[in-house]
Amino acid sequence: MGLVLVSHSGKLVEGLRDMVLQVAGDEVPVAIAGGTEDGRLGTSAPDIAVAIRSVLAVGADDVLVLLDLGSAALSLELAIEDLAEADRGRVRISEAPLVEGAILAAVQASIGASIDEVAVAADGAASMAKIPRA
Amino acid sequence: MADIRLTVIDPSGLHARPAARFVQAASRFTSRIVIRQDGREADAKSLIALLGLTIRPSTEITLSAEGPDADEALAALAAELAPYVSQIG
Repeated sequence: MGLVLVSHSGKLVEGLRDMVLQVAGDEVPVAIAGGTEDGRLGTSAPDIAVAIRSVLAVGADDVLVLLDLGSAALSLELAIEDLAEADRGRVRISEAPLVEGAILAAVQASIGASIDEVAVAADGAASMAKIPRA
Repeated sequence: MADIRLTVIDPSGLHARPAARFVQAASRFTSRIVIRQDGREADAKSLIALLGLTIRPSTEITLSAEGPDADEALAALAAELAPYVSQIG
């Protein structure tokens, strides 16, 4: 089980990967795709496909992809179409908020959870409290 | 059911990294493990539940475990939290 973090900004996902590795440890493969191929803000289907393949290549059975904004979804769909047919079914797209979802998903994956459990953990990020309730 | 009581001494409380390590450690045991603070409780194997407790410095927490490896689990979790807490009982 591995994660792919997709953002319109390369810097954003580089920093997020650092956070994920520090919080969850480095046992879960995490690949990133951020920005366009020429370094502008945006997303790149080929870069996303490379990220997904890199996670599958290190032995992950499944990949959960988290994205920052819905406008990344088109590039992501193109990236998935570019994968070998057998690999497409191993990729799942999360609706979770990127930062919180990535951390929750990575910790869940690090304890050996299935992709279903990891996806559920990531989804929980949408309703996670940040400010302590009195 | 086995319990231990701890006081959080780390000035940052129980922040994301130790919370994640704690969840990873708790998940190695089959016992049901709960962490309580101020009448609220969280499943020790769920990071989202644990972060939801927002455990602050100088607060008291109770770890409870129920199951075949409860004592072992509490000993391991207390060791995991050792840099961040002092044990009360």
